[in-house]
Amino acid sequence: MDPLESIKVTFFQECDELLADLEAGLLALESGQGDSDTINAVFRAVHSVKGGAGAFGFEPMVKFAHVFETALDAMRSGSLAAETDTLKTMLRASDVLADHVQAAKGQGAVDEARTLTMAEELAALTAPPETALGSVAPMGAAADEPPTDEWGFRPLKMAIDGPAEDGDGWTLIMRPKAEMYAKGDDAAILLRELGRLGPCEASFEDSALPEFDFLNPEASYLVWRVKIPGDVAEAAIRDVFDFVGDECPIDLTRGEAAALAPGPVAPVVDIDALLQAAKAETAASAPKPLAAAAPAPSGEDPAAKDSAKAPGPGAAATIRVDLDRVDRLIDLVGELVINQAMLQQRVGESDLARSSTVAIGLDELEQLTREIQDSVMAIRAQPVKSVFQRMPRLVREIAGSTGKQVRLVTEGENTEVDKTVIERLSDPITHMLRNAIDHGLETPEERMAAGKPAEGVVRLAALHRSGRIVLEVSDDGKGINRKRVREIAVNKGLIGADAQLSDDEIDNLIFLPGFSTATVVSNISGRGVGMDVVKRSIQALGGRISISSQPGRGSTFTLSLPLTLAVLDGMVVTAAGQTLVAPLTAIIETLQPKPGEVRPLGPRGAVLAVRGAHVPLIDIGVALGWRDIPIDPTAGVTLLVESEVGGRAALVVDAIQGQRQVVIKSLESNFQRVEAIAAATILGDGRVALILDVDAVIDARFLERIEPVSLAKAS
Amino acid sequence: MSAPFLLPRVLDLGAAGPLWSALAAQRGHGLTLDASEVERLGGLCLQVLLAARTAWAGDGFQIINPSPAFCAGAELMGAANLCGAKEAP
Repeated sequence: MDPLESIKVTFFQECDELLADLEAGLLALESGQGDSDTINAVFRAVHSVKGGAGAFGFEPMVKFAHVFETALDAMRSGSLAAETDTLKTMLRASDVLADHVQAAKGQGAVDEARTLTMAEELAALTAPPETALGSVAPMGAAADEPPTDEWGFRPLKMAIDGPAEDGDGWTLIMRPKAEMYAKGDDAAILLRELGRLGPCEASFEDSALPEFDFLNPEASYLVWRVKIPGDVAEAAIRDVFDFVGDECPIDLTRGEAAALAPGPVAPVVDIDALLQAAKAETAASAPKPLAAAAPAPSGEDPAAKDSAKAPGPGAAATIRVDLDRVDRLIDLVGELVINQAMLQQRVGESDLARSSTVAIGLDELEQLTREIQDSVMAIRAQPVKSVFQRMPRLVREIAGSTGKQVRLVTEGENTEVDKTVIERLSDPITHMLRNAIDHGLETPEERMAAGKPAEGVVRLAALHRSGRIVLEVSDDGKGINRKRVREIAVNKGLIGADAQLSDDEIDNLIFLPGFSTATVVSNISGRGVGMDVVKRSIQALGGRISISSQPGRGSTFTLSLPLTLAVLDGMVVTAAGQTLVAPLTAIIETLQPKPGEVRPLGPRGAVLAVRGAHVPLIDIGVALGWRDIPIDPTAGVTLLVESEVGGRAALVVDAIQGQRQVVIKSLESNFQRVEAIAAATILGDGRVALILDVDAVIDARFLERIEPVSLAKAS
Repeated sequence: MSAPFLLPRVLDLGAAGPLWSALAAQRGHGLTLDASEVERLGGLCLQVLLAARTAWAGDGFQIINPSPAFCAGAELMGAANLCGAKEAP
């Protein structure tokens, strides 16, 4: 990859994080939880985005960020109150900034009219300028000093006089480089920042400034010298320059004389002699006192100091790693697991005693392999926060365009899930949220009429449940209009007019392809993506979606996904001569039915009595189309399984081979999606085994939807 | 003396180049800059103004009607005397 390109990629990654921080900060402020640190953090986020954007020449983004930053700066200085309305504007501004970032990534375009309106709104926040800029008064101290000559150049007499005057104060020399300006930063901003720390006094040195005709307006010539009160902490001063780093080298010294000896002062040097030399040098260059402090080499010194600065104690030690590398590692560990399983099988076949050193060593190897696998998977695990954080904006936008009042409540944002899953969560969640607001929630008037608060609540929650991640999107709206759903399904020919359906079944009709209940196709939900697409994309992930609804009280969509798409603990079984893997998470117990416990039901079916309850018996060989006649359940083994939605069934297989961790290999990417099969894996003997989709098998049993022919072909 | 040149509202990074070109076009005449609308003054434009002041020393250089923001910006950067002329000529 082109080096610049890779830096750009890093920049975009940072942008995403910064934008998330920005939004989180603004939301915190809006809810009254923020303080001045939050405002600072928010400001820094925009500032950093602007800096990076400047470096890559994303001019429109720089411009907009600049306006945004100005407003935030006013808030930081206290001249703009952090009121709800202001924050709402800023939240929308953060959305526009996010658009710019997307556009810069080459994804989507920027709505220029919106940017312009937003920029004007932001500018209006800080108007009139007197109020906004008047607040920078601390630096105003300089105004009280009469200009020393008509050119505005104030000779730095203290440099000549030595450290007598204000000997305890800090003297800061800053030499902004053109690169700093190019990134949209400005000496004025830095000076204003310094002014915030205490009454500062700035003067500039213009000896490097060429004649007007030879001036490059975008080059940097001026060097500033700032006197800062001695009681200001060094760290606070250096913090101001944190963002500009090497682009604005600084010399920070106590007192005056030291400032004139900017080179590295080794402790072994005789200080007196140095002072003498410094004074002599200063006196010699009296007309241009700062020139002595300006030689280029000294510029490297503070930069080095800056970079050597240890990270703050709060900063977690993290590294950025290319995802490809982690993926490669995970693939390799997957191979290791398969290899280890093969080795185990070979050893098992070679008639070695269980207690032989080889067998024991192999057990230890298995342990280690598993630990490595867990650790590697943990590297890729991420909290769902990254996805959840994008949702408040979406909710704001949908609320804005539908005229509904919505409050988004998120729970369990720190729930971790594999990166492969995270990346694919965004779309389904987005669509379910759209749906919840557009179809679920009522308008404020309707809500008031129904005796509910005008503001609707949409809850987005994530939790771990039995080795899967469960996401819930619920609203407190009107619930599914079952009568209408039924009508539509009948009208569209999806169900027969006389079909007897339970409430649950009616609710689930909305997942049928070609179903859309909105009478007016709004631009929110009606984007050509129906719930059927959502369901399909979730199923492709090995997930399931279900819905529960109470008229007048809202609906809840529940989505359950595997935590990882890489490994699975499974039970290896045989059915009709084929080896299959059943996910362990779905299995409650395994049992061998006694003849009295199996009762026929209907022409082909049978149920199994398990501790007083009857569960349907499903012959896997038949369900997958490998044989036509079910085997005698008492001759095989049954796996009592539970589906995600709580339905139970007893799966009949010929035999159980054992329990094993298997590496999931996608069928979709290597072959195609197969009904009732979740994925495939490679076994210890090198053969491919299919991984059973237990829920699909149970559903198929109830709906009699499986077409054995296609399955037989697939396998 | 030619008509006053109205300085733009924002004198930041993006304004420095255009400002320089605009002023360069005025060489040979006295220069009067109207700073009444300035809301922001940055380091680069300050450089242009300082260089212009030196360059126009013979022909006449003045900044009139400085806005409070212009003065605040100039003071901030130690160039308070740029906004010395408070009243229009």
